[in-house]
Amino acid sequence: MADTLTDKTSARTWRAPRLTLRRREAIEAWLFVSPTVAGFLLFFLGPLVAVVYFSLTEWNLLTQEATFVGVKNYVDALSQNPDFWHVLRNSFVFAIGLVPLNMSLALTLALALSRPFRGVVFFRTVFFAPVVTSAVAWAIVWRFLLQGEGGAVNQLLAIVGIGGPNWLREPDWAMVAVIVTRVIKMVGLNMILYIAALQAIPRDYEAAARLEGASNWQIFRMVIWPLLAPTTLVIFVITMIGSFKVFDHIYLMTGGGPENGTLVLAFYIYEQGFKFFNVGYASALAMIMFVIVLVLTVIQMTLRRKDMR
Amino acid sequence: MNLRRKILAASTILSLAAMSAPVLAEELRFTVWTGGEAHLRMLNEIAESFKVTHPDVTVRFETIPAADYTQKLTFQLAGGNPPDLGWMMEDAAPTFAAAGVLMDLGPTLREAEGYDFADYSQPALGLWTDGEAVYGVPFSTSPFMIFYNKTLFDEAGLEDPLQLAASGKWNMDTFQEVARTIKEKTGKWGFEFKDGQGYESRIMHALMPPIRAYGGDVWANGECGFDKPEAVQAVQQLHDMVFKDKSIVPPGEQGDYFSGSSAMTMNQISRASKMPEAGFEWGIAPLPSGPAGESPVIGQAAIVVFERGEQKELAAEFVAHMTNKENVAKMAQFFPPARKSVLESEAFTSANAIIPPEQMAHVSDAIEKGKVLPSHEKSPQILAAMAPRVDALWKADADVKQALDGVCAAIEPLL
Amino acid sequence: MTLTTRHTRLVSHVCLIIALSVVAVPFVFPFLWMVSSGFKSATEIFGQPSLIPRVWRWQNYLELFEYQPFARQYFNSIYIALAVTGLTLVISSLAGYALARMRFAGAGLLMLFLLSALMVPEEVTIIPNFFLIRSMGLMDTHAPLILLPVFGSHGVMATFLMRQYFLAIPKELEEAGRMDGLSRLGIWWRIALPMSRPALAAVSIITFLFSWNLFLEPLVFISSLEKFTLPLALSNFTDSYGLPLWHLQLAATSLAVVPILIVYLIAQRQIIESFALSGVKG
Repeated sequence: MADTLTDKTSARTWRAPRLTLRRREAIEAWLFVSPTVAGFLLFFLGPLVAVVYFSLTEWNLLTQEATFVGVKNYVDALSQNPDFWHVLRNSFVFAIGLVPLNMSLALTLALALSRPFRGVVFFRTVFFAPVVTSAVAWAIVWRFLLQGEGGAVNQLLAIVGIGGPNWLREPDWAMVAVIVTRVIKMVGLNMILYIAALQAIPRDYEAAARLEGASNWQIFRMVIWPLLAPTTLVIFVITMIGSFKVFDHIYLMTGGGPENGTLVLAFYIYEQGFKFFNVGYASALAMIMFVIVLVLTVIQMTLRRKDMR
Repeated sequence: MNLRRKILAASTILSLAAMSAPVLAEELRFTVWTGGEAHLRMLNEIAESFKVTHPDVTVRFETIPAADYTQKLTFQLAGGNPPDLGWMMEDAAPTFAAAGVLMDLGPTLREAEGYDFADYSQPALGLWTDGEAVYGVPFSTSPFMIFYNKTLFDEAGLEDPLQLAASGKWNMDTFQEVARTIKEKTGKWGFEFKDGQGYESRIMHALMPPIRAYGGDVWANGECGFDKPEAVQAVQQLHDMVFKDKSIVPPGEQGDYFSGSSAMTMNQISRASKMPEAGFEWGIAPLPSGPAGESPVIGQAAIVVFERGEQKELAAEFVAHMTNKENVAKMAQFFPPARKSVLESEAFTSANAIIPPEQMAHVSDAIEKGKVLPSHEKSPQILAAMAPRVDALWKADADVKQALDGVCAAIEPLL
Repeated sequence: MTLTTRHTRLVSHVCLIIALSVVAVPFVFPFLWMVSSGFKSATEIFGQPSLIPRVWRWQNYLELFEYQPFARQYFNSIYIALAVTGLTLVISSLAGYALARMRFAGAGLLMLFLLSALMVPEEVTIIPNFFLIRSMGLMDTHAPLILLPVFGSHGVMATFLMRQYFLAIPKELEEAGRMDGLSRLGIWWRIALPMSRPALAAVSIITFLFSWNLFLEPLVFISSLEKFTLPLALSNFTDSYGLPLWHLQLAATSLAVVPILIVYLIAQRQIIESFALSGVKG
């Protein structure tokens, strides 16, 4: 900080006459963003460029020997390795299952909890509590609760006469289980964001619509939902990216099993890079992941922009 | 090497001088996966006795929990922060040896005074040697044994496995029979796979012993053995026990042997340290024999020195000290030895404080006749490729032959 | 008339409470189960399920400290999370302020670049970062656990949150500050920051939780037990054979979760308000 100050004053005394106001502002601005930019270059852009390069090599983490192989890793992933498509499918299933469930639950809870009533604080607290809980703790506990016959979830279901499946041992149910437990863990954050947005909507809008005889649903559809659009976009992007990078939850709940039913991209990259030592292949996968997330975000943003017009 | 440098330079915008971790010149860092007090006390005693010849050398034992051991070790090696020496499990050995990160201990051991390298049983060294090169010295060559709950066997009115073994009737058929009877008469599980993890992290430990008893193998000479008739028969029997007899703890359930929920399990004798607190009468017996006769299965762990350590010569000397006759005899109270002289001595069978000598005799016997668990340079990949196919096997309606064909299809390209 | 409206209102209130209570079960039950299991023996956890332990094993809470340096690991997590939060606040509010209030060539491009960082999961860059950290000699230190979140996608998100909030501050206030002869840095420190308490609070909370929960980075960069952070330590309660020591693990998990929950309960009104006021809307 002291450096920034002296830099700036010396710049001022030295060359002040020559500097236009605009130029000085630009220099100051770059000083303000310099820590962010430096960190960005060092820990983000540099590594990202490196990933591109790594992805063109065959590189063993343990022997530390690298050979340039061109696009072989990409070809392997896309056309040779059946696991890749399976993993990609899992990642999409996870995202497609998680994002709508999370967002609709978050919105429903926010609508119920945005206005004060007796008990509102209690419920807001309850639904936000898993967010502040460590993901590791969450996964550890749920792994217990979701055991076959002895698990608490199935014992509760048995009370209402439902024979629950062996959650974490059936590929499809395991996917359902990791999605639902993840939603319970994270929905509180989106709920709070929606509550904040709802509270920012002036009451007059709703009152005016009500005067015109609009039903609750119409008010929601015509007034509230459009006004929530910017929040919805942000929540969507954050939740979607979050669902693609889910690692700890999978690592601890299922380890990618059973039958690779919950093996998602982020976990697969870790496994390839740090368990099988294929740094090159893992980097190619990472690039593919980057492109997917980028494309999805850009699509969503352009759609939204058109929508707004 | 050069390539790597370039890449690093590319990824590093600021060039920072690499600092090597400050290491005391005379301290050896030794990674182990035990945190047990008794184990560590013994290890420290051995380190202490090294001071007789190397007064300035201390050895620091660093515990890395077993579940993440190999992974963390990899990070330390790849991260440029290797320990000087460490324990290594048999399934990791070929991978690490092939990657050239293990030091050849052969010259040091053969020259060490009074070491008598030939005293080590050849089969026990198989995994750790390549021609003249020695990449590790096994400190634990521990056969898998049947642990049984005598109280439950009495309750069901059955002869226990040790008695059955004595009368030559302890085979795969009687194994299935007693497990079923236990389930029927006591309501407890007949058998639990090793540590209850036979469907997840201990697939090999669950499948290997019966397959060998039937005369099969999981792989050999680059060929998959899971789809051979012997293996199919063996796995079919396990499958029947899980889903027809319901005598083996099924996937997703808990039936902990050590807390009395299962009448039998399979484990190594180091696990006996858990028994005194178990609260029931117990014993150990050999694995049931099969159509191919007795075929004990052995799990191994060895001491290795890392090639990139800065004091590898000194570390190698410590290995020579730690695995000399005297210290191997000392370690035999916990870890079954691979030195013939110790194995055949009275000291070994009577050294174990928890297991009576006549049961220990079965352990020595198994070490002599047994074969080490299969391993492979690509073990991590093979296990990962197997796991989903084996998951498919453990379903009530699975076709065993088909599932095992699937296992072979998955691992064959890697073998 | 009034009686019936009051009546329907009461009924709908009760219905709402009941519906919310049902939904709340999977949010609350894991906590109850976790805390109660932390007092059980390993055997009882697998026995007949019951929320009240048959035998209260208080010694779980002593044994877990003997098993690994848990207090030290707890401290690591706290101090790392605080360091990450403090650094993030300073760096992201500086950059956020410049992006919101100052005109400079390249600002648009910079925004675009930073935005792209928001979209890249840590998994993508973890391998090159592994080599980078190694070449800096920082393996098995806490430095990567502080640097990567501060400068990674999370730091970028914080920058955006701050920028959005600064945009909403009336410009007139800053003009007044400039008249008084404050430099840019002075305006940032004396005017912009004090006015952005809700945003700073929201960023602090998100950042603290992000660091507190970090799992992949410690898994990859830390190998010494005494340098572990809580998430690693929790998954590390295993016996010498790699088997989980469930009772200790659950007791430790309770210890890791409950204090944070209590802080949250005490501060929850402020937390939710700061989110509402900060307009974390992007």
